[in-house]
Amino acid sequence: MADPEKSIATGIIISNREIFKDHFLMILRVPADFRASVPGQFVMLRREEGDHPFLGRPFSIHSLYSMNGETVMEILYRISGMGTALIARLTADDRVTILGPLGRGFDVPVGKKKIVLVAGGMGIAPLFYLAEYCLEERRGELGETVLYFGAQSSHHLFGLDRLERLCSSLKLSTDDGTFGYHGPVTDLVAGDALSFERNDSTLFACGPYGMIKEMARIAEKFSIPCQVSVEEKMACGIGACLGCAVRASGENTSKRFMRVCKEGPVFDTREIDWNWREG
Amino acid sequence: MKDNNSRRLAVDIGGLVLKNPVMTASGTFGYGEEYAAYIDLSVLGAIVVKGLSITPREGNPPSRIMETASGMLNAVGLENVGVRAFIDEKLPFLREVDVPVIANILGDTVEEYCEVAHILSEAEGIHALEVNISCPNVAQGGIDFGVNPELAFKVTEGVKNATDLPVIVKLTPNVTDITEIAKSVEDAGADAISLINTLTGLSIDIEKRIPHLKNITGGLSGPAIKPVALRMVWEVVRAVSVPVIGVGGIMKAGDALEFLVAGARAVQVGTANFVNPRSTVEIIKGIAAYMERKGIDDIKDLIGTLKT
Ligand SMILES: Cc1cc2nc3c(=O)[nH]c(=O)nc-3n(C[C@H](O)[C@H](O)[C@H](O)COP(=O)(O)OP(=O)(O)OC[C@H]3O[C@@H](n4cnc5c(N)ncnc54)[C@H](O)[C@@H]3O)c2cc1C
Ligand SMILES: Cc1cc2nc3c(=O)[nH]c(=O)nc-3n(C[C@H](O)[C@H](O)[C@H](O)COP(=O)(O)O)c2cc1C
Ligand code: FES
Repeated sequence: MADPEKSIATGIIISNREIFKDHFLMILRVPADFRASVPGQFVMLRREEGDHPFLGRPFSIHSLYSMNGETVMEILYRISGMGTALIARLTADDRVTILGPLGRGFDVPVGKKKIVLVAGGMGIAPLFYLAEYCLEERRGELGETVLYFGAQSSHHLFGLDRLERLCSSLKLSTDDGTFGYHGPVTDLVAGDALSFERNDSTLFACGPYGMIKEMARIAEKFSIPCQVSVEEKMACGIGACLGCAVRASGENTSKRFMRVCKEGPVFDTREIDWNWREG
Repeated sequence: MKDNNSRRLAVDIGGLVLKNPVMTASGTFGYGEEYAAYIDLSVLGAIVVKGLSITPREGNPPSRIMETASGMLNAVGLENVGVRAFIDEKLPFLREVDVPVIANILGDTVEEYCEVAHILSEAEGIHALEVNISCPNVAQGGIDFGVNPELAFKVTEGVKNATDLPVIVKLTPNVTDITEIAKSVEDAGADAISLINTLTGLSIDIEKRIPHLKNITGGLSGPAIKPVALRMVWEVVRAVSVPVIGVGGIMKAGDALEFLVAGARAVQVGTANFVNPRSTVEIIKGIAAYMERKGIDDIKDLIGTLKT
């Protein structure tokens, strides 16, 4: 069992910089004994000072590494409401309370498999960490890593130089046609899916609900395994409130629920009943 | 928390002795195991588990959660694994922990409540039942048991007859006169009363002009409801003679102390567990520190000492 005293960490902000409009990169110093994480896991983050926001907010770990003997975590996020707007105001030396790493991360298969990453907008956050992991921790063990990255507009496709280093190829798209393919990133994936070796490729996707639902369809159509990171509103992040439930797929399981924070946030697309939720 | 402190903090709830007055509120602490990585569960006064029904319940579709000013709305919808799965899969873990377990129960009919109560009474490791009467009565057109004195009486009486365990009845605040319901469940034989459950609320997304919660309305909890809860506890304490357990917006030791001073014999901590999983432990320590500072040897000398 984890040491109860150490299960809640204090993070100290090194920088919290706006990369482009409303999108921020937070770099934090975390305790040296912060538990190792698997890409796809998340943290519940809360400002240490004040009562707003009241609940923590879930964020994927964007990167976790040691630097000059210190453990550093990165969070990539977008302002999407009151909580994230307040988090965006934090500056160097401000403190945050961190629960985590939480949940089930990506399960990278063993063997020379092709790793296909599919990111929609902010969905790049955990996939960047996954690409880092594939290159650094599993060097030489895996097949090539390719990234499909779609976003609203060209300036939303950020970090491309870092990503180019990590992946053998990048396929880009924008909703407004200002860069790469003009249209949803899932079109690009569907177009290439026939060329993926069914038994030797794994898809990893993160993005808006509509996009990951489309990925579930593509995975089924081409019978390629696909792991997705699912988002649902959370209150506790540790499996207690049942706020984050998704319905499990399958016959006779209509009463079976999975908690995004505990059984997820990463699921095989076949585990989920995609018709339960709208949008 | 050890030795002399534990003696001074002990309270008696309808025959169930707790080592301190701080329990967890139903639905906010899972089935206990979720918090084992964050606190030593055995320091708690008691663990109240998520509401149990006769068969598993699916709950509401998302979104189920919305943060509001100093609180949150939830429409989880009483999702639970069902009483039998609880006994088979969840209770074994709790039996190993040296802490009283209180099972929160719910139903669509009086008969369902009684059946759940009966099944739990046969299981080893349950120390009391808490009856959540904030549920629609299917037989009576869906009116909540907890808003009608006769229905509240019937369900309490039924559960009392179905079990030998102490029975705590948990009241809803969504009523005109809470003392009327409190007296009714006391007359029906309740050993203790806990209050309050969540206050019904609504939050709207003005961009899309849709409710934030798929269920439209939800239950408000957290610091926002504390003054309401405290007022209701104070009213009920003066209306009944059974022990009262205060619930609603308790985040810190000071909040818990307010309830004790108002006359609650124990408290439950709910939403605070989501914000800080160690809240309960910090509250227990804070109560002990307050007693130390005030020179109060026994918590009984603190309960109900509000000067008006
Ligand atoms: C496992 C997980 C990992 C996440 N990782 C990241 C990340 O790396 N970067 C990032 O920018 N965001 C991430 N999110 C989403 C992020 O948690 C929400 O954007 C944030 O909670 C919104 O809080 P707010 O107070 O600003 O918005 P609110 O005022 O609460 O709501 C504003 C809008 O955000 C939506 N929202 C609120 N909470 C969530 C949520 N938990 N998930 C999805 N949408 C939500 C609401 O529906 C609403 O449209 C993640 C969510 C989950 C569940
Ligand atoms: C997510 C959630 C689930 C809840 N589930 C239950 C339940 O199953 N049974 C019950 O009697 N009360 C339930 N409650 C009510 C709490 O036990 C408590 O009465 C209420 O939240 C007020 O206390 P608080 O402000 O400390 O949270 C739930 C509350 C929340 C927030
Ligand atoms: S966020 Fe509370 S159970 Fe998942």
